[in-house]
Amino acid sequence: MAHGVKRPVAAFRPGKGRSAPAPPRRARIARVKRLVFIPAWNEENSIEAVIADAREHVPGADVMVVDDGSTDRTAELARRAGALVASLPFNQGVGAAHQTAYIYAIRHGYDICGQLDGDGQHPASEVARLIAAVEAGADLAVGSRFNPDADPDAPGYEATFARRMGQRLFSLLVSTSTRQTFTDTTSGMRALNVRAMEMFAERYSSEFAEVESLQQAVRSGLSVKEVPVHMLAREHGSSFITPLGSAFYIFKTLIVLLIGQLRPRQVSE
Amino acid sequence: MSALLAATEPVVRLTPQARIIGAILALAFMGLILDLIRRDKLLERYSIVWFLLGLAMLAGAVFPGLLELLAKALGVRDVTIALFSVTLLILLALSLNFSVIASRQSKQITRLAQQSAIDGVEEQRAGEVRPEASSRAGTPAPPGRAPR
Repeated sequence: MAHGVKRPVAAFRPGKGRSAPAPPRRARIARVKRLVFIPAWNEENSIEAVIADAREHVPGADVMVVDDGSTDRTAELARRAGALVASLPFNQGVGAAHQTAYIYAIRHGYDICGQLDGDGQHPASEVARLIAAVEAGADLAVGSRFNPDADPDAPGYEATFARRMGQRLFSLLVSTSTRQTFTDTTSGMRALNVRAMEMFAERYSSEFAEVESLQQAVRSGLSVKEVPVHMLAREHGSSFITPLGSAFYIFKTLIVLLIGQLRPRQVSE
Repeated sequence: MSALLAATEPVVRLTPQARIIGAILALAFMGLILDLIRRDKLLERYSIVWFLLGLAMLAGAVFPGLLELLAKALGVRDVTIALFSVTLLILLALSLNFSVIASRQSKQITRLAQQSAIDGVEEQRAGEVRPEASSRAGTPAPPGRAPR
């Protein structure tokens, strides 16, 4: 496909469509603009705490919730908690939610954005460390709960055996395909700079967002850094995964990674 | 031996009864498509290919020579097998085509949804900026912004 030639999302490039200008007072002071966003789908039980956590640990950042077609009060509570809220009209999958935030961040001149899940698994203090890693030069920083450098005494993340095996397999596949070691390929705790956001604003897998985006980023020459973090067990709700479902998911991811290996590299300046 | 058999065995043709049924079905199919277009249930650009398919069905039923020509070109002795193979291939191509269309439309829908979500945030932000501009001091920190 003529991917490098055709740029179907040119409208999402920075400089175009900045319809909400920042107050001039802020614009004059050249400082790093940070956005912390929280993709959330029906997380009314945890969203307020996550917003408060993000506020506390990433000072100076704007906080935005990307409400992925929630049918509960997620958007309302987030707005009341003082966050910006981007509500997708219907559930589009985690990839589309992430991408919404990237497009928004680029248009509004943010330099860095950090992301953490809306279910309370990701402590914002750890996201702050990822943002620091991006400020130190990485294009994309990913928090890993399995990284061997992680503090073994820190409050840990418990996963079931099957999930752990799936994780291992993904890590092996992504690490092989990128020739860089990744231990937690499905981690949604990340921080990225404009270069990475622009690449993902153009193309981002909707169903296999986390796994495929790592391959995509490394292949396109972005510097991706995995940072050991600790995560918490989810307080509310449960993961969508059933044994058969996860087997099928692993199989689909395998195919996606194989195809990703054949895709033309995206050019990023 | 088998080569000899093949040479002597007659070509399997459609029976007149099958041809009549085929012709009726083809006509009914084309009628259905015209009706769908008329009632705005089917866009013209998607209907043309189906209409052509109906015409081909009709042609095959009315002129049996065409099917025999097709069978000969494919190297099969049985006209029905030629018919089934070609039909399957056409349906395969069509459904692939529709998957491509569905993928494209799904991408467009996502972009629309994202745009609508971003519009919502911009509206929210605009709502915050206005009161701030009218009375600088004493207003609470606008949502989404961290206190400075």
